[in-house]
Amino acid sequence: MFNIHGFMKSRKLYNRIAVFRKERNISRKELAEIIGVNFQTVGYLEREEYNPSLDLAFKISEYFGLPVELIFSTEPLKPLIEEIIELKNKIGGQ
Amino acid sequence: MNRQNRKLWIIINYLSIILILSIFYTGKYYDWPVFVIVCEAASFILLIFSFIKVFIKTQLWKMSHASDKNLDERQLQVMLNSLKYSYSAFTIIVLVIVYGFAIAEQGPIDVVIAACLLYIAHTLPAAIVGWKEKII
Repeated sequence: MFNIHGFMKSRKLYNRIAVFRKERNISRKELAEIIGVNFQTVGYLEREEYNPSLDLAFKISEYFGLPVELIFSTEPLKPLIEEIIELKNKIGGQ
Repeated sequence: MNRQNRKLWIIINYLSIILILSIFYTGKYYDWPVFVIVCEAASFILLIFSFIKVFIKTQLWKMSHASDKNLDERQLQVMLNSLKYSYSAFTIIVLVIVYGFAIAEQGPIDVVIAACLLYIAHTLPAAIVGWKEKII
């Protein structure tokens, strides 16, 4: 991954955009219009071939109404259901 | 058009420029026989056809000549990278031609080479995007 100037390599960002988009039953084109990017960019984001800027990441999280860390991660993301069960167990254990 | 086809048409497009130049100098040397004129016209048609196929139909031309306001952050990043590479490539091409003319004592570059350089300057950023990007 390149930064805006194409010189510095950055870490790969994993995300759940495709999962949340499908859950909300909207197309890539519709999501692209909402967050103000080209629809191909949504494809690049979903395939994790492009790291969004902080501004774009916040736009996406604001649209889904979820915290950024639930959508993006620097480590491979587990299926959402596993994460919910883990969270539930953590809360139950306290 | 997939990337493989795009690469093929970019090669055809730039080969047709080399063809135009070669045929032009051959024609100049042999005082323009009909066969050479036909070949020059055919390579010019090939240049236009491949230009439309690879730069216009794929929207590469539109993207490379779009205002920054009309591009999103990924497209801007792609364009900045392609401009960086095309600047280096174009500098090398121009230097090779200018030094080549100087060493061969051919005098200043003529209008046909100048026109080809103008074409390359305008299409190179789009060609690099077309060559490198999976999807445009």
